[in-house]
Amino acid sequence: MDDAASLASVSDDHLREKVASWLKANWDPSIRDNRQADGGGYSAWIAKVVEARWAAPRWPVQWFGRGLSNEQGRIVEQEFARVGAPGTGQDRTQLYANTLLAKGTEALKAKLIGPILRGEIVMCLLYSEPGAGSDLAGVRTRAELHGDHYVVNGQKVWTSTAATADYGMLIARTNWDVPKHAGLSFFFLPMKQPGVEVRPLRQITDESHFNEVFLTEATVPAENLLGELGQGWSVLQTALAYERSVMGEGARGPRSGVAEAVGEEPLIALAREAGVLSDPVLRQDIARVIAYKKLNALNTARAKADLAQGTSSPVMSLGKLAMSRILHEEARLRTAILGAGSLLEGCDHPRAEDANFLTLNAYFTSIGGGTDQIQRNIIGERVLGLPKEPEVDRDVPFREVRGG
Amino acid sequence: MATISAEERGALRDSVRRLLADHSAEADVRGTMETEAGYDAELWRKLAEMGIAGLVVEEDFGGAGAGPLELELVMEEAGAALLCSPLLASGVLAAELLRALGDDDAKRRLLPGIAAGTSIASVALTGDAGTWTPEGISVTATEAEGGWRLKGKASYVIHGQNADVLLVVAKAGDDLQVYEVDPKAAAIAALPTFDHTLRLARITFVNTRARRLAARGSVWDAVQQALNLALVGLSGEQAGGARRVLDFTVDYAKARIQFGRAIGSFQAIKHMASDLLLESESAISAARNAARALAEDAPDADAAISLAAFACADAFSTTTATAIQMHGGIAFTWAHPAHLYLRRARADAQLFGAPAYYRERYIRQLGA
Repeated sequence: MDDAASLASVSDDHLREKVASWLKANWDPSIRDNRQADGGGYSAWIAKVVEARWAAPRWPVQWFGRGLSNEQGRIVEQEFARVGAPGTGQDRTQLYANTLLAKGTEALKAKLIGPILRGEIVMCLLYSEPGAGSDLAGVRTRAELHGDHYVVNGQKVWTSTAATADYGMLIARTNWDVPKHAGLSFFFLPMKQPGVEVRPLRQITDESHFNEVFLTEATVPAENLLGELGQGWSVLQTALAYERSVMGEGARGPRSGVAEAVGEEPLIALAREAGVLSDPVLRQDIARVIAYKKLNALNTARAKADLAQGTSSPVMSLGKLAMSRILHEEARLRTAILGAGSLLEGCDHPRAEDANFLTLNAYFTSIGGGTDQIQRNIIGERVLGLPKEPEVDRDVPFREVRGG
Repeated sequence: MATISAEERGALRDSVRRLLADHSAEADVRGTMETEAGYDAELWRKLAEMGIAGLVVEEDFGGAGAGPLELELVMEEAGAALLCSPLLASGVLAAELLRALGDDDAKRRLLPGIAAGTSIASVALTGDAGTWTPEGISVTATEAEGGWRLKGKASYVIHGQNADVLLVVAKAGDDLQVYEVDPKAAAIAALPTFDHTLRLARITFVNTRARRLAARGSVWDAVQQALNLALVGLSGEQAGGARRVLDFTVDYAKARIQFGRAIGSFQAIKHMASDLLLESESAISAARNAARALAEDAPDADAAISLAAFACADAFSTTTATAIQMHGGIAFTWAHPAHLYLRRARADAQLFGAPAYYRERYIRQLGA
């Protein structure tokens, strides 16, 4: 390992030069293209980035980092991006590692942070339950202490990568005699054990991206508790904050309409192909939906510019709501353009496949990660400062709270 | 165009906001909208002193030499305060038409007065058809006795009854031309407007003597250039108006108590407010994007202006209409300001072309 010491005090230029020269000596662009058919090159590269302390440079020196500020970390990311090298920025985007670093026991950190950064360990989220969707603090999966470990019983849902995961971040109830937020605890649950059963969920799109996880007398070592017993809700907020910051970046992907600005708008192309581009009603509709996409891209650009100038923007919170509308409206419009053609499906009818799939998959965004209705509550309360709705279960021992 | 920094732009915005807070508060607007002129001459003089009347007029002619970015910001404030003024008619549409035509003599004669606010100019473009397109023009010009005479009717002329100078777009045979007319020579009738803060006139020309203005290029291109700048200003007004309406509606939802709690705690109200935040912030993004595109003369400027034209019109209309519903009975009263904004929103959505027209123009500009 090269000089392991913090680089917090070096100048930006020196830091930039240091990252660039390390990349020059170590980065092989052919690695990037081998990501799917990995013969070892990709994982070996990530391991090298971790060892050289570039994977999470904002982290402290004792945990693979270099103690950099947020701005300095961005310089490292810029240099990696310049040559197209992956692996840095995990201090910003690696949900599991960040949660573990912030809240984990020393023993658990020593055991898992390295493997997580290197991608050797697959993780999943054990949050939602059939009876706790929007009201996540209402989970009823129970964890009870038996000597040096907890025994877990309950059911989780909407868990992706559960089948291959080594650990799941679990929110479970450890105290039923206090109000709902106060009785929760947060664990790293080992997934590969007899008490954990994973069943794929068949979605309305006929795909299976998620699983149900049945926990029956599953065990988790006491050292895998994150935060204090009963402080699970606050650990969860830390984890959700990381998740949202990453989701926000995801929402700025190609679907935002920016990348589609090259070439003809897909909706115009579709109407042209369907022979209905001269229909004045559809033209109005197409203009309206393209505008939704463009406006969202403009909002996102404005929020980013505000953020860069150090002012927070109300626009930041609106992306998910805007994206839900875009996806549902685009699906509706594609269906209208195709008309009776949308009755069909299968590989001989790819346009209908698209329209029908998008119609169903739009709910992935308008329900997943908190429904649009919950998002409207959040915007109303946190951005506009409107008062919260009274919560009837807030100060009641959870044992007495209605479920279902 | 003068080089204006972000700081200067912010300072301009702040000073306009302060002036309008002092002189275009709700009571001022209500007073002004009942007057015949429909604008407060004293406030107009103050705006002119601040450089707003000639904001986009070149410095050589006494203007501030600013551009679309500054205009858009000022208009956000004007929209928020429901400013009653001939700014859009005189300082934007007429001034920009003169610049676009490039008749140096006319610029020298007319622009300094417009920039100083001492002369109000207005553009007569559409006839009773109410379409701001070449087809909408119904005044014709003929050459006689070494000069030009106009015939026909122009309508929806903004602040036409207050104009000291009329610029009339008319058909001369197969050509379009712009003519300068002394308002005293034409029959000008004030139109009753649903938006009481707006002044519109219908002007009848009967063999009216007119002076033809020279044009560097296509006259319609010059008119379009003036309309584009006016649309940027109008978009800013709509965006600023929408955001102000949302703000006072949210304030009311925090203060109004029913069933023992603030109505803003009910999801029925909260969700409407969140949706309006998306509408009004999207309008601000669209208006500023149009201003930027026009200022940079970007290849997508025309499409950006079309987008802002319909997105801001729809957002202002939706926000004002929904705000009245959110308030309940209080906003059904004349004494509450919500209807003043609804009236302005409905007027702004028709000026220079309705949203459907700009949606069609947008999709055409995108290649369809």
